[in-house]
Amino acid sequence: MKKSCNKYLEKNFGVVPLRLLFFCLAGLMVLPLTACLSREKPGKNLLTTETEEVRIVNLFGPMEKTRPGGENAARNAFDKTIFMAEEKLGVRVDYITYTAEDYQDKTYDEVALDRARNDMDDIYLLNPDVIRKLASEGKLADLSELDGVENLREVVKTANVVDGKLVGIPQEVVVYGLFINEDIFKECGLKMPETPEEFLECCRVLKEKGYETPVGANRWWLETFVFAQAYADLYNGGNTEAEIAALNSGEKKYSDYMRSGFEFLQELIDKGYIDAEKAYKSEAIDGEGPDFLDQKTPIVMAYWSAANADTAYGKPDFNMTVIGFPSSRGQMPVVSMTGLCVGINAEHKEDALDTLNVVLSDEAFQVYAEVNRVISPSKSVETDCIPALKPLNDRIEEGVYVLGTNAGMDLEQWGNVCLVVRELLGGATVDACMAELDRLQEEALGK
Amino acid sequence: MRTNGDKGGKNKGFSLLLPIILVFCILAGVVFSVSLKISREMSASAIQNLSESLDLLQCTIEAILNKESEFQQLMAQEIAASDNPEEYIRSYRKNQTMVKISLIRTGETEGISNTGEIFTEAELNFSAGGMVDGLHVSQSYLNYMGAWAYTIKCPVEKKGQEIGSLYVEYIYDSLDRSLPEGFYNGNAMLYIMDAESERLVLKPKGMGERNAGHLNLEDFYRANNIWEQDLREEVSECLENGNNIMFYHDVWGRSALNFMWSVNGGTIYLIGYVPVEAIQQEGKTVNQNILIVVAVMLIAFLACCALFFVNQRQQNKIRKEREAEREIHNRQLAEALQAAQAASSSKTTFLSNMSHDIRTPMNAVLGFTTLLARDAENPDKVREYTKKIMASGQHLLSLINDILDVSKIESGKVVLNLNKFTLSDLVVSVDAIVRPMAQAKKQHFHVEVTDIQHEYLLGDMMRINQILLNLLSNAVKYTQEGGEIWFRIIGLKQRSSQYEHIQIEVEDNGYGMTQEYLKTIFDAFTRAENSTTNKVQGTGLGMAITKNIVELMGGTIEVFSEVDRGSLFRVELEFRIPEEQVDQQFWETSGIKRILAVDDDAKICEGIRFLMKETGVQVDTVFSAEEAVSLLGREDSAEEGYHLLLLDGAMEGSLQTVKRLRGIMADTALVLLLADVVTDEMEEISCMENTGILLKPFFVSSLKEKILEFREEQREEQLLEREDDALKGMHFLAAEDNEINAEILAEILEMEGAVCKIVENGRLAVELFKNSAKGEFDAILMDVQMPVMNGYEAARAIRALEREDAGSIPIIAMTANAFAEDEKDALDAGMDVHVPKPIDMELLKKAIRQCCIQRKV
Repeated sequence: MKKSCNKYLEKNFGVVPLRLLFFCLAGLMVLPLTACLSREKPGKNLLTTETEEVRIVNLFGPMEKTRPGGENAARNAFDKTIFMAEEKLGVRVDYITYTAEDYQDKTYDEVALDRARNDMDDIYLLNPDVIRKLASEGKLADLSELDGVENLREVVKTANVVDGKLVGIPQEVVVYGLFINEDIFKECGLKMPETPEEFLECCRVLKEKGYETPVGANRWWLETFVFAQAYADLYNGGNTEAEIAALNSGEKKYSDYMRSGFEFLQELIDKGYIDAEKAYKSEAIDGEGPDFLDQKTPIVMAYWSAANADTAYGKPDFNMTVIGFPSSRGQMPVVSMTGLCVGINAEHKEDALDTLNVVLSDEAFQVYAEVNRVISPSKSVETDCIPALKPLNDRIEEGVYVLGTNAGMDLEQWGNVCLVVRELLGGATVDACMAELDRLQEEALGK
Repeated sequence: MRTNGDKGGKNKGFSLLLPIILVFCILAGVVFSVSLKISREMSASAIQNLSESLDLLQCTIEAILNKESEFQQLMAQEIAASDNPEEYIRSYRKNQTMVKISLIRTGETEGISNTGEIFTEAELNFSAGGMVDGLHVSQSYLNYMGAWAYTIKCPVEKKGQEIGSLYVEYIYDSLDRSLPEGFYNGNAMLYIMDAESERLVLKPKGMGERNAGHLNLEDFYRANNIWEQDLREEVSECLENGNNIMFYHDVWGRSALNFMWSVNGGTIYLIGYVPVEAIQQEGKTVNQNILIVVAVMLIAFLACCALFFVNQRQQNKIRKEREAEREIHNRQLAEALQAAQAASSSKTTFLSNMSHDIRTPMNAVLGFTTLLARDAENPDKVREYTKKIMASGQHLLSLINDILDVSKIESGKVVLNLNKFTLSDLVVSVDAIVRPMAQAKKQHFHVEVTDIQHEYLLGDMMRINQILLNLLSNAVKYTQEGGEIWFRIIGLKQRSSQYEHIQIEVEDNGYGMTQEYLKTIFDAFTRAENSTTNKVQGTGLGMAITKNIVELMGGTIEVFSEVDRGSLFRVELEFRIPEEQVDQQFWETSGIKRILAVDDDAKICEGIRFLMKETGVQVDTVFSAEEAVSLLGREDSAEEGYHLLLLDGAMEGSLQTVKRLRGIMADTALVLLLADVVTDEMEEISCMENTGILLKPFFVSSLKEKILEFREEQREEQLLEREDDALKGMHFLAAEDNEINAEILAEILEMEGAVCKIVENGRLAVELFKNSAKGEFDAILMDVQMPVMNGYEAARAIRALEREDAGSIPIIAMTANAFAEDEKDALDAGMDVHVPKPIDMELLKKAIRQCCIQRKV
């Protein structure tokens, strides 16, 4: 009977469809069995709440924690090192963030200052001026005992040591430079400027060629022009320590160093090469970035890693090159460092220090440098740079640069000069700005 | 009929398919409606679930605010009761909730704070009118700690009189501790937003989803891609009115419930989103199961459809195969019937033709026999009648031969008798027969032989002759008077070095054949014009025989023809090349070392040179008679001398040239005229000594024969003279069972002066010979088909006798079994020669001469 049935089916449906039918039916029979696969939990208590105490470290920073593989490379690199610490230590690093809504809002630095002074968080990502201020107030813990410290570059230590304590350690040495649209320069027959005079000449030509504002600027980074001109000789003249000592003692005035830079900025503003009004209200990159990428503005200033792929100026539609700022000693990179610090009274200080021990280890530096392709603070970590950054890198390799921040100077540089430059943008005269610098120096001397 | 069947099948198929589709449609509809209902219920459940959670959070925050308010009022009472309220303020130490307290006395604009600073209300904004438990609450702001905070203002009353206001600053971070950690298992986002400024004052810590800071409502919209204007307007309206709103909107590609939940009468809002799957964790399983059910149903449906269509296809295939089989069957039957009818018809026609064709000569034989009896006294008439009887008999004989040939070929009994032959013999024999026929009809018969490499070949010459004569006699028959007939033998490229590949063409410009006839030309029993009155006689078997023989030889035959334009038969055959081709010794013994060929056709000259290549004889060629004369006249040439001159007889003045050359050349040298046709003038010239005619085309073998002919002419003449009366006085023993034949044989031999003893069968012949004296009989003439003992047995018996002459006495087979295999059988039986019946006296004489006289010699 069965055979005859099979024969009938084979005759009428063929062998292959028949097999297919059997496989389908077998598959359908297996499906309901999957419902029986879930396991019953032993015992009467149905709850599975096995709460594990989590050690929390609060980190105050400008950005939220991102998922692995997020879009922002910089945050991704930072987060990777944080994940390393979380994994290694079993802590959870909670991010507390602040971003100013507009220029009228409190700045990130102001909020950071407030929070650190009130011991709100454990770890802070701080700009150099804030580090200087908080360190001088004794609000930051000494990081000298961290494992990775011995491999740090001297410049890093110099810039972050206050009263003998290493209060901040950066994850990258931030080098500022001028981002140049090489295509426009070639089109206008311009070569890369070395000195302030050459830079002014470039701006003149660009203006004539129809670029209304040749230099795109924001309210934060114009001070780099000033630093380049002010400290080109100080840091590269072979007498750095003596000159800094003279400034700290009041023998020399910061204004004497910086006047030329401010006058230079004034000239740029007066000749319309910089839109002071716009710059005064613009945040970094958000303000000038779009015009630069649209090739309306041929020159902007930014930090090293902004040239890397997946970041602000990573994929321009034109040939871009990054050079140092004009100075009497040629193109001059300006080095600055944001640093990770731990509050002296942090609620979870030990965990915070342990976390930084991982985040600032050579292993983490390597990860960070590879992802962001930046100059690492550690001497033992090396990375390649993209072609656009080569001119800037060459100068760094030559040892030619100025510091935008130096903990050895009693007058905090990065924040104060930024504010004075902002006054210039606001309409103050160069003399008034110099007077303000003098006042600040006096104030520092008074302490 | 079949179309109807197909339609019927299709309709049946569709009638089956429709219910299947209907059932599955209904099932799909049910599943769809169930899943839709489940989906709706799950959605409602999710909304309710989230609403309840948010209500709970709202209540928690409002409870905290109320507690803060109550505590602040207690503090106000304490301050009112205090002697030194300022001291109370200064002594306060901030905690995690209340981070700053300040007091402004009534009527003053400045007060003090616990931080020691001067405090003014100007820093605070109470304009939004937010209240907590009857106390004013300020708009949110960033406080001195860098944290988002709000201040509740509480009046300080002493004895019913307000003496100042107590301001307590609270930070939102304190609320965070009361909110659930990891809302919806960490999948949800929950912010607290200040309604007035729309700033996000409390944000999730832990893992974020976005790469930007979460500033305010606009930022929330941007980060979550909420761009729909109408939605945003609706949200704004709710915010203004302090209402809650919840809506679906995809966040990061996942369906999510977005919410804005009013807290404290709308002063602050809980905003955020929860992925739907985070709320409906069981929903995912339900959906998966529904999908599985749908997928299974779909698979089942598709499987049903597939099986249905496969079944239909199989059925159709089987039906078509059966129909095709039936059609093939029918066709084969029809063809068989047609063939049988055609065969029957052909054979009827054939019999009719045969009847006519046999009756005609028979009629002549009988008629003339009657006349012969009547006019026996008149020798002229007798001669005339016997001549006609002979002709009719010959025709009758050819008819019978053809019929027997076909019958034997068709039954596969034909054996090829392979012997060495030369193409020249073949051409000469064919030419000898066909040319007179063509000349009788005033037709031009052209023979062309080209590119032949080997003349000596192995083959059945008689059968090849048969093929050629069939084709050529047809060409003559079916070509009008004065027409042209071409007979070509063309050497093709050898496929094997051991075989000569030859193409034979017989072409005419005669009547031609219709295309229909061409299809059946090689079938037996067909004739071009099926009419008994056809003036062209024939059995209709010639072409069938020809084709069969060609195929028997492994060759091919094809025919091209057009009516009134002529026909072309093309036969391709391969003949084995015998190992010994050239008898170089012959040329050396003949004394011929140099030949001069004179022909205005360069191709012919080249052909002669080519054919003579292997003989070792030097061949020089010139293209005119003048050149030949000039060449032979030269001294150097005269010294060496040519031993043979071949001259094209068709060239102008060639005959005169022969005469001149004869004078120049040595007397012993041969001069041969190459000619298609021998003219009287040529005959005359050939009478000159050592001068002759060689028929075209040129063959080495024919040349060789010609040379032999010259050398042996004399001797042969003498021999012939001796042989003319060779039978005279000879005694023969003949075994012949047919009395008439026996009588005829006796008469004929008597006419030749011989004596013949006739016996009726083989046994008698054996006995007679056994008992005869030695030398009594010169030869035995043996019929084959005889009663008692046939010829073969008798021959074997005679040869087996223990007599001295038993093995040497010539036995001549005389039989109507005239095929090659009959001859072979005869020779195998020990006979010496085979003479077919009816007896041709010349042939018999020749055979006797061959066996007897030469033996004597």
